Amino acid sequence: MKTIIALLLLVSVATLSSAQKVDYDKKLKELGIELITPTKPVANYVKAVRTGNLLYLSGDGPMRSDGKYITGKVGADLTIEQGYEAARQTGISILSTLKAELGDLNKVKRVVKVLGMVNCTPSFTDQPKVINGCSDLMVAVFGEKGKHARSAVGMTSLPTNIAVEIEIIVEVE
Amino acid sequence: MKNFSALLLLMFIASFSVAQKIDYDKKLKELGIELTTPSKPMANYVKATRTGKLIYLSGHGPTKPDGTNVMGKLGADLTIEQGYEAARLTGISLLSSLKAEVGDLNKVKRIVKALGMVNCTETFIDQPKVINGFSDLMVAVFSEKGKHARSAVGMNQLPGNMAVEIEIIVEVE
Repeated sequence: MKTIIALLLLVSVATLSSAQKVDYDKKLKELGIELITPTKPVANYVKAVRTGNLLYLSGDGPMRSDGKYITGKVGADLTIEQGYEAARQTGISILSTLKAELGDLNKVKRVVKVLGMVNCTPSFTDQPKVINGCSDLMVAVFGEKGKHARSAVGMTSLPTNIAVEIEIIVEVE
Repeated sequence: MKNFSALLLLMFIASFSVAQKIDYDKKLKELGIELTTPSKPMANYVKATRTGKLIYLSGHGPTKPDGTNVMGKLGADLTIEQGYEAARLTGISLLSSLKAEVGDLNKVKRIVKALGMVNCTETFIDQPKVINGFSDLMVAVFSEKGKHARSAVGMNQLPGNMAVEIEIIVEVE
């Protein structure tokens, strides 16, 4: 009898821990997120470097599924809402890079740190409202594990005039 | 006889691992790189801090051998080529501080991450071409170990109007 209880306990623990694995393909689909094919760096750098349990990602931009970037300056060419959308799209680029690097998003233990850079006019002061597009996405996808430390700042310009560039540090298994 | 061959094998392995050490003084000379004497920070911060196996370096600038910095804005005062050269000089400043910090560049296991900041006009969008001056240098000096994650972005202004500022994270032994 004791053995049966122990066995039952073991089975329930096993199911519980397997239940903790998230079906990210399904989850992304539910959230209406379509991962893109990450571009390859065209110069002497790489998309990500792992050191210990930390994965440092290069700055990603708001690449749409058609391969084109959302461009323009927030405060002049783009509204806050469009900036938010660009930051969300950048988050999708980041998820795509993470998936390509790790194989399985279940390996993400924590989104540690985000540096969100907004291409904006000198008088634009709502960078946080823009970068929320990425932060909201990370929490929607990863739950508590997606909550990160962050800075949201304004840049005078970004490569090829992309609207947003975001770099992150992720703790992985 | 058996002992003798074991000894030979041991000597062979030992010489091999010694051979893996790179004579960086020679290599830098071959690449035409002369390290500078790192300047001391003039306020309450330091050039580098170590935490675990990571060294975080403060933002460095394009210091010329005469001790002055390359100054000016990309898109107005400087060409992309001059910016590239400034980023290369910034890389040399970083190598100088790194050498001062670790003693021997052989201790560098990986250049993990670089944040390349370019002093530029609002319409300048070729930050990556500028920061390549730094990235190419790291790969010339450290080969595969020099390949890093990076962001290359545009700043409205930098201290002393210097053309480029770069901060890096390095994994060491």
